[in-house]
Amino acid sequence: MELTDAELISAFKAGDAEALGPLMERHKAALYGYLLRLTGRQDAAEDIFQEVFLKLVRNPAAYGEREKFRAWLFTVARNAAMDHFRREGARGEVPLEGDGERPGPADYAASPEPGPEAAAVNKELGEKIAAALARLSQDQREVFYLRHYSGLSFKEIAEMLSVPIGTVLARMSRAAALLRKEISR
Amino acid sequence: MNCDYGEKLILYFYGEADGALKADVAAHLQACAGCREELAALGKTGAWLSVEGPRAFVTEAVMRAARAAVRGGARGFTFSWRELALSGALASVLAGVFAVSGRPAGQNLAWNSGLDSGLDSVEYSVYQAQSELSASSGDWDYRYSELEDESAKAEENA
Repeated sequence: MELTDAELISAFKAGDAEALGPLMERHKAALYGYLLRLTGRQDAAEDIFQEVFLKLVRNPAAYGEREKFRAWLFTVARNAAMDHFRREGARGEVPLEGDGERPGPADYAASPEPGPEAAAVNKELGEKIAAALARLSQDQREVFYLRHYSGLSFKEIAEMLSVPIGTVLARMSRAAALLRKEISR
Repeated sequence: MNCDYGEKLILYFYGEADGALKADVAAHLQACAGCREELAALGKTGAWLSVEGPRAFVTEAVMRAARAAVRGGARGFTFSWRELALSGALASVLAGVFAVSGRPAGQNLAWNSGLDSGLDSVEYSVYQAQSELSASSGDWDYRYSELEDESAKAEENA
């Protein structure tokens, strides 16, 4: 029988290093996909992915087991991504959302190469989707990616972002409307 | 799409609509082409967004760190382009500092270490002892010649 996230973390805390393997395997595609869309860069997404799991390795107590592991994982990942953008902004002098003339990291969020399922989507449709995602506001895009990759409920996402659930649903609804508009052109 | 089903449709698509709402949206979809299009757009986008996980060396590095942490609290080796670049830059700066400020460690080293002043003290003590010895010897010579003179005068008087 497959162990739950909580059971794997308990085993890791008890000294079974190998318990981290299935835990990482279970969440890696979703977490990495989210980070890849957020940062728009493979190396940055991999660095942050590693940073998130190393946080658990160095301090397993950081995950208190009161909340769902997936929610903890995506909250830590989101914070690490924000730190990454702040560092990049300080070093590259380009703000997260660009400066009007130059695009920022968030503006590239829809640009990473598609995965295996995406490869099946024809090229023209793929370009339309990418264009539509790039046109979303940062707030809309964040909610859209969080819901898609984390699988967390809108209520959990609202708690993570510290905004009312109505705000989350409104952002998502506007994002969906824009996607429909762009894709059906 | 001019209906007000936007948020309800989102809850329906992601499986968060309860029984009554689910039935309501399902009935609405029969009549609303715009909502059907929106559902289709969400489905296509979802398929396009799928990705595989990170490259294998990323997860392997985490596992090495996990085994090391469990063994004895060591961090283990992790790979990061940022840390690698930072390490290289730091090594270059240190090499530059040593190259510019490097100087032979000869007399200056002894001079600055306090060793030299210690040796001076020893040397002065030896010199002082020699002087005292020399002075004593001189006094004795002087006294001896004085005794010789007195002896010679006594013989002359006799």
